[in-house]
Amino acid sequence: MNLLRSGRLYGFVLVVLALISLPYWATRYWVLVILLFSINLALSQMWNLLAGYSGLISLGQQAFIGLGGYALAVFSLYYGLPIWLSIIIGGTISVLFALLISAPIFRMRSVYFAIGTWTVAETLRILFSNWKYVGYGMGLFVKPAYALSFNTIYYSALGVGIASVALVYFLLRSKLGLGLMAIRDEETASETLGVDIFRCKLNCFLISAGVTGAVSGVLYLHNIFIQPYSAFGIDWTVRLVFITIIGGIGTIEGPIIGSFVYVFLQQWLSDYPSVSLLILGIIAIGVILIAPKGIMGTIQEKLGFEFLSPRRK
Amino acid sequence: MLSFLAELKGPIVNGLLLGGLYGIIGIGMSMIFGIVRLVNLAHGDLVILASYLSLVTMVYFHTSPLITLILIIPAMCVIGFFLQYYLLNRVLAKGMNPPLLVAFGLSIILQNILLLVFTPDARALVTSISVKTIPVGGFLNLPVVYLVDFIGSITTIVLLSRFFSRTYLGKAIRAASDDEGAAQLMGINTKTIYAIAMALASGTAAVAGVLVGMTFTFYPHTGPEYLIIAFGVVIVGGLGSLLGTFFGGLILGLAQLLGAHFLGPGFQLLSGYIILLIVLTFKPTGLFAKG
Amino acid sequence: MHGIERSSGGLSRGGGRIVAGALLRVEKIDVFYHDFHALWEVSIAVEEGLVVSIIGANGAGKSTLLNTIAGVLKPSTGVIEFFGKRMNGLMPYQTVSEGISMVPEGRRMFPRLTVLENLEVGCYIPRARKRKNEVLQRIYHLFPILGERKNQFSSTLSGGEQQMLAIGRALMCEPKLILFDEISLGLAPLVIKNIYQTVRQINSEGKITALLVEQDIQRSLKAAHKVYIMQSGRIRLQGIPKELSQEDIRKAYFGL
Repeated sequence: MNLLRSGRLYGFVLVVLALISLPYWATRYWVLVILLFSINLALSQMWNLLAGYSGLISLGQQAFIGLGGYALAVFSLYYGLPIWLSIIIGGTISVLFALLISAPIFRMRSVYFAIGTWTVAETLRILFSNWKYVGYGMGLFVKPAYALSFNTIYYSALGVGIASVALVYFLLRSKLGLGLMAIRDEETASETLGVDIFRCKLNCFLISAGVTGAVSGVLYLHNIFIQPYSAFGIDWTVRLVFITIIGGIGTIEGPIIGSFVYVFLQQWLSDYPSVSLLILGIIAIGVILIAPKGIMGTIQEKLGFEFLSPRRK
Repeated sequence: MLSFLAELKGPIVNGLLLGGLYGIIGIGMSMIFGIVRLVNLAHGDLVILASYLSLVTMVYFHTSPLITLILIIPAMCVIGFFLQYYLLNRVLAKGMNPPLLVAFGLSIILQNILLLVFTPDARALVTSISVKTIPVGGFLNLPVVYLVDFIGSITTIVLLSRFFSRTYLGKAIRAASDDEGAAQLMGINTKTIYAIAMALASGTAAVAGVLVGMTFTFYPHTGPEYLIIAFGVVIVGGLGSLLGTFFGGLILGLAQLLGAHFLGPGFQLLSGYIILLIVLTFKPTGLFAKG
Repeated sequence: MHGIERSSGGLSRGGGRIVAGALLRVEKIDVFYHDFHALWEVSIAVEEGLVVSIIGANGAGKSTLLNTIAGVLKPSTGVIEFFGKRMNGLMPYQTVSEGISMVPEGRRMFPRLTVLENLEVGCYIPRARKRKNEVLQRIYHLFPILGERKNQFSSTLSGGEQQMLAIGRALMCEPKLILFDEISLGLAPLVIKNIYQTVRQINSEGKITALLVEQDIQRSLKAAHKVYIMQSGRIRLQGIPKELSQEDIRKAYFGL
């Protein structure tokens, strides 16, 4: 298999090994940075799967972030289930919810789809804020997570980050992936070639929902406290949109680069969160105007080079 | 039965009046959607921007919010014109998604600028009428400000309507939205026309912003809340129809207050969202859409 | 080319160019439509007061030529001059101010505007607005049906009526030159006959120069003072209709 012989694979493995050993040679600050980076990476890979490959601009991923986080909180706190199980349940609930809303949502085209997904997330936000079971708007503390060490959480985050990249990589090499790349490049033509567009998009929607829900579980291991206002807030999508656009929409490497930029900016300007978002917004607009394919996309275009290319050579 | 209906008088009347406000919020978005084919995700933030600008003007000149409109409307028109001419016109040719994302970026930029300048504290455009109510028919206390909102909304819509049907510019805008290429052949510079349309939409956002600020408290991040309302109004009311958008607002206002009446105040927004989702699913072109 | 000599009005056939007294001069333009080379070194000249016709089959490049003159497309090489003024690179809305008006292919009504509003948009440019009512009366005289239906939405008109509206709209700005793009498409023969009569009327009474694009050879030969025959983006033949043989025309039309 070409992959094994590729020098790039070894480079990738090297980086992964370095990250795995990070807690042993780097400061806690950097471990935290990589932790946040990994979570954002996983979430934005999923958003990219939708927007960059399936052509679905979703402004409602926060619905699954909220569901995943609350699943973790409720099942581990109220029912005493192991954390890993609660996280998986979170992912499952997200997939089921996505399936539930897919019927009406997929009738909506482009911008209607965007607003529709956003409205669904806002609806969940209101419902959870008024739900006694989860403590109304005052939120829940994920107490069982207190027992976890920082390193455990770090490795969980790193794990989902790497897994998300691998998932997207192998997904794109699969039959589903071929269909997606065809859709990304030319939707109407691919339809005439027999690609079942609806099924492709639906599967991507479900996958991204499930993974987002599960990743959110890991996220809230770190955050510890969950409340509806932030969990179901549009801020999540704002981040994912900016990360993906700046990094390069429709590429696997894009979210990697974008997440770096985001976390770096966020840490650099940690005292001024609004300024970092402001700068991100300006960069994002600049990117769309000048280099709409983002950092990675422009590199690919100019140099004809894909680092993590799922294309078979 | 009668007492049940009597109970509803309050929510119905208030819902309709509030719907008027929603209508004016949605008009700007409807115009841009219909004319430039752009969904301005920053529309809600433009409305709130107007609220803040009005606040500043109010404090500086010691006047009431409605007077500040004299300055705020032109100011917002200019802002809208430049936004469209120099920024949004550039992305329009790139497809469906870039304009959406640029508008999204703009929304975030606006929110954070407001946050930096004005802090996250709640604000309101407080006037003497903000808390007054008028007793109507002995069973209802109408908040005066709702009435002002409704009147302001209708006035703006009527003025806009006459603009579109009586002036050369108005007809040119309508022509450009029907067929951009043919409009160019008539001597219409469509780039400028789009910017003018955006200026008008921003002007309505100015009115909406002042009315909203007088009626409710606002924060830098209130924009997106009104964006969803604007979208709801436009979707329910239908594109390309000023009057339709107004009725969309009425329906949404009614739905919200009736929902709040039956389910509780926390569900006011929710009722609106449900209606929006239903219409989006079954008739996205809107209930009153023109052919 | 400056220093234009006045010719006595004689026209040459074959590949020679007309130099003198031209209202509109197109000289050796190449036009690309995306990557497709649509026009190859096309040159035409339209003298003031004439009806000039461009004939060719589908895809010959006729509409491309008109669109380039109107400013919708830009030539990559060559010159377009109107009244001696260089027109390359002007936007469509600017060519209108110069005095060129177009009746586009497919009519291109504004469906959500009424007949009257369509006409009013036609005199959008400032100099035309002052004379709106006067010109409107002339249009109603020329096309009475438009006067009858003036408050109806233009989408409710029949094909022939829409064509009349399109022509009327183009007249509203009092142009010196009107470009007609395939005005007979999709219309019944009787209707076409009427429309062409009107075109002749506009030309002779209104002294408006007309540049027509047509697929219908016979119709063109009858209507025009001068014809150009295009094929595959090139001018194959030009001349006065009665001086051209059927054989030559046929050969040029089909590129034989």
